[in-house]
Amino acid sequence: MPNEPKASSDPGASDLIKPPRFMGLRIDRQQVIRAFFSVSAAVTIVTLFLIMWTLVTEGPFRLQKKLGFLPVPTLKGGFLDTYRWELGVYRKAGLEFCDHVKKPLTEHETIFSRLKRAVGAELNTVSKVSRDRRDAAILAKTHVEERAALQREALQEALDKTGPATPPEKIEELRKAVREATARKVAAEVLPPLFTDAEKQKLQEDLRGLQPDQEDFPPFIQELMAESAKQDGLAREKFAAFVTAVDEFEVAADPIIEVHDAMKELALATKELAVQQHMSEDAVAQLLAAAAIAKTPEEKAAFEKDAAQTDTTAIDFKGRIEPLLAKRADYEKLIPAYLATVKKVMADMPSKPLTGEARTLLAKARKDLPEHIKTVEASLHHMSGWKWDKPIPLMQSLSAFLFGGDWITNSSWQDFYGMVPLLTGSLVISLTALLIALPFSIAAAIYVNQFATLREQEIIKPLIEFIQAIPSVVLGFIGISVVGDLIKSTSDVAWLQWIPGFPVAERLNMFNAGCLLALMAIPTMFSLAEDAINNVPRAFSEASEALGATKIQTVFKVIVPAATSGILAAMLLGLGRIIGETMVVLLVAGNRIAIPDFSDGIGTVFQPAHTLTGIIAQELGEVSRGSPHWQALFMVGIVLFAISLFINWASRLVVRKFQLPKI
Amino acid sequence: MVAAPPAPKKPVSKPAHHEPSAVTPATPTAEGVISVRGLDFHYGTKQALFDVNLEIPARKVTALIGPSGCGKSTLLRCFNRINDRIAGAHISKGQVVIKGKNIYDDDVDTTQLRRQVGMVFQKYNPFPKSIYENVVYALRIAGVKKKPVLDEACEHALKVAALWDETKDRLKANAFGLSGGQMQRLCIARAVAVRPDVLLMDEPCSALDPIATLKVEELITQLTKEFTVVIVTHNMQQARRVADLTAFMFMGQLIEFADTTTIFGAPQQKKTEEYIRGIFS
Repeated sequence: MPNEPKASSDPGASDLIKPPRFMGLRIDRQQVIRAFFSVSAAVTIVTLFLIMWTLVTEGPFRLQKKLGFLPVPTLKGGFLDTYRWELGVYRKAGLEFCDHVKKPLTEHETIFSRLKRAVGAELNTVSKVSRDRRDAAILAKTHVEERAALQREALQEALDKTGPATPPEKIEELRKAVREATARKVAAEVLPPLFTDAEKQKLQEDLRGLQPDQEDFPPFIQELMAESAKQDGLAREKFAAFVTAVDEFEVAADPIIEVHDAMKELALATKELAVQQHMSEDAVAQLLAAAAIAKTPEEKAAFEKDAAQTDTTAIDFKGRIEPLLAKRADYEKLIPAYLATVKKVMADMPSKPLTGEARTLLAKARKDLPEHIKTVEASLHHMSGWKWDKPIPLMQSLSAFLFGGDWITNSSWQDFYGMVPLLTGSLVISLTALLIALPFSIAAAIYVNQFATLREQEIIKPLIEFIQAIPSVVLGFIGISVVGDLIKSTSDVAWLQWIPGFPVAERLNMFNAGCLLALMAIPTMFSLAEDAINNVPRAFSEASEALGATKIQTVFKVIVPAATSGILAAMLLGLGRIIGETMVVLLVAGNRIAIPDFSDGIGTVFQPAHTLTGIIAQELGEVSRGSPHWQALFMVGIVLFAISLFINWASRLVVRKFQLPKI
Repeated sequence: MVAAPPAPKKPVSKPAHHEPSAVTPATPTAEGVISVRGLDFHYGTKQALFDVNLEIPARKVTALIGPSGCGKSTLLRCFNRINDRIAGAHISKGQVVIKGKNIYDDDVDTTQLRRQVGMVFQKYNPFPKSIYENVVYALRIAGVKKKPVLDEACEHALKVAALWDETKDRLKANAFGLSGGQMQRLCIARAVAVRPDVLLMDEPCSALDPIATLKVEELITQLTKEFTVVIVTHNMQQARRVADLTAFMFMGQLIEFADTTTIFGAPQQKKTEEYIRGIFS
C-alpha cells in the first residue's frame, strides 16, 4: 500500500475535529442535549420563584406600576396596609372601646353556664327520682297515644264535626274502638322499674282511660307531677343560698349588657360611615384615573364632575366618640353592685358539693371568679387609658396577624385575621399524627429490613406503599364515618374514663385527623426509614454478630443508631407531608376556629380545630379577590410555605449532622 | 497453564494418615484447638469446600493461603459460623470441633461461640461510636455493666492491640477519627476484649498501607501469647513473616498444611510449589 501514510493522515486529522452538524446547524450535539437539561432545571427554579412572587404580591405587597410599566411591589394596598386601616377604624369608631366591656360579659356567660350546670347537678340529688318517675309516666302516655293515633284521630274528627253533628251512638262506637286500641297498647308498653307493681297498675289504669277529648292528665300522672314539683321545691329550699346566688349572678349582668348594647350601636354607626367614606374615596380615585385616560374632553369632564360630586368629607371621629366615652360613667356606676354579686356567689357556693360533676364545675368556677373580678377591674382601667386617636403602626398589623388569637371573618362587628388558632390546630394535629406514625413506620421498617423473610418483604413493602395511593378525600370519608364513631364509642366505655379527654364530645376532632394523617405519612416515613436502615453498611452488623451479639442487640445497638440520620430525615419529611395535607383535615378536624383549651392536657387532642391548610381551602373560593380577607389567606399561605421550607431545611441539617463519617 | 496433577491427593493433617507427602510434621499429635474433619461446605447448590481436614494448634499463628476463590475465607468463616448470615450457606458433611464440641451441632449457642472465637475483618469496620464503646461493645452486649470491669477490659484490650499509648487520652473520641491502621488495631482490640481463645483474621492488612501493615503484623506475632490466631492472607510474604504454620488451599481443597518454613522452603506438593514460585495460573 504505497500511499497509505498520506491517505490515512487526512482522515486521521479530520477525526480530531468535532462532528460539526446537528440537524444541519453548526452546533455540537452534546451542547444541545446539555442545554435541554439545563433549561428543564431552570424552568423548575423559575416556577418556584414565580410561586413565591405570587404569594408575596397577593399577600403583604401589592404591585404598582412604576414608569408606566415596571411592576414594583409596594406595601401600600397590601395586607398589612389594609389590615392596619381596618384596625384603625376598629379603634377610631370605638369598637375596641366596646370590646373592653364585652370581655367581662363573655366571661360572665361562660361562668354562668358552668354554675347553672352545677346547680342542676346539685338539685338533681333531691329531685331527680321524682322527676324521672314523672317523665317516665308522661313518656308512657305519649307512647300509648301515638300508637293508638289512628283510632284517636277518627274519634277526634267525629267529635269536631259540626254541621250535622256525629250521632252519639257513632261516637260511642268510636270511643269503644279507642278504648280497645289503647288497652292493647297499654298491655304492650313496658314500664321502667321506677315504679312499684301497685303503681304500675295504677298507671296502666290511667292510661287505659285515655280519650282524645280528655284535657287534663290522668290522676296518677298528676300525682306524680305534684310530687315532682314538691321535690323540686324542696331541693330549691335545700340549696336556697346557692340557687339564689346563681340567679342573682345571672341577672346582675343585665344592666351591663344594656350599656354595652347602647355603646355597640354608636360604634357600629360610626364604622358604617367610615367604610362608606372609604369606598367613596376609592370611587373618586377610580373616576379620576378614568378621567386621565379618557378619549374625549366631554368624557373627561363627565368623570371629573362625578368625582367632584362624590361626598368624601372626612368623618368627625372625635365628635362621634364623645357620647361613647360618656357611657363609661354608666358602666363604672354598675360595677360595684356587680362585683358584690360576684363575691356573694363565691361565698354561697357549697363548699362540699354532693356530686362529682358539681365538684369539678365549682372548682373551675372558684378558679375563674377571682380572675373575672380582675378582668372587670382591668376593663375600667383599660377604658380610662383608651385613646381613640392612638395611631396603629404597620408592625402592629403584622403582629396582630402573627400573634392574634381570633380568626373572625364576615362578622357584623369586626373582622380579625389572627392566625394563632389555625397554627395551633395545625401543629397539634401534626404532632399527634407524627407521634402515631413514628413508632409504626419505624418498627415496620426495622422488621421488614432486618427480620422479615424475603417473601414477607415482598408482601409487606408494596402493601404499605399502597396506602399512599388512597386518595385523601376517601380517607376523609373513612374519618367521618368510621374513625369518628369509633373514637366516640370507645370514649363512652366506662372503664376507659381515666384517659384524659374522655368522654369525647365531638366525633370530628384533632385526634381523628391525626390518626388519618398518620396513616398518610406512614408510607413516606416507612420507605425512607427502610432505605436508611438498608444503607447501614453490612460490615457493622457482621462485626456485631462476630462479637457475639444477637440479632436484636445488633439491630438496636448498631443498626438503628447508625441509621439515625436517615430515620430523623424520614420523620421530618413525613411531618412535611402531614402539615401540608388539606383534604383530610378539612373534612375531619372539626373546623372550629378557636385556640384549643390546653387545660385538658393530652385530652386537648379530642377537641375540634381548624388548620392553616383547611382555612385556605374553605374560604379562598368565597372571598372577593383583593379584599383584606383574600390577602389574609395569602398571608396564611406564606406562613405554610415558610413552615415547609423550614422543615426541608431542618431535615437537610439533620441528615448532615447525624451522617456517618466516611471511612 | 501448568497442567494440574492427574488426581489431586487428599490433603490431610491427621498424623495417622500414611501418605508421606501430605503428612505435616508440624502438626502436633495432640488434637488442635480447632479440628476440621472432612468438611464439605455449600453456598446454596455451589460447593465451596471439599473434604477439608485440618488441626489448628493452640497459641500459634496459622495462615491460610491460596489463590482467590480457593475457599480460604470460607473455611475461616466456618470457625465462628458467621457464614450462617448468608442465606443458603450450609455444611453438608463433616465437623468443626472447637474445645471438643462440634460447633455445627444444633445445641450450640452461636453467640457464646463467637465470644470464644473472635474475628477481625478484611476492611476495618469499627462502629460509629467512641473508641471506648467500640472496645467494650462485646462486654456490654454480654451484660457487663460495672464500669471498673469495662475500664479494665478496655485498657487491657487496647494494650494487647498496641493501641493504648495512641488512644488513652481520647477514648471518648469517635473511632472514625483514627487512621486506617489504628482502626484495624481497634477492631483487633474489640475482638480480644472478651478474651476469646481463638482470633480469626480475614486478610486483616489488605486495606492498609505498608507501614500500618507492618505494625499489625508485629501485633499478630505478639497475640500468640494469649490467643490462637488463624489468618487468611493472599500475601505470601506476610504468611512467611507472621505464620508458624501455613495451609495452602486450592479449589476448595486443602492441598498442603505444614510448617511455614517447610511450605515455603520445601513444599511437598507440586501445586504448592507452583503457587509459591508464582508460576501458577
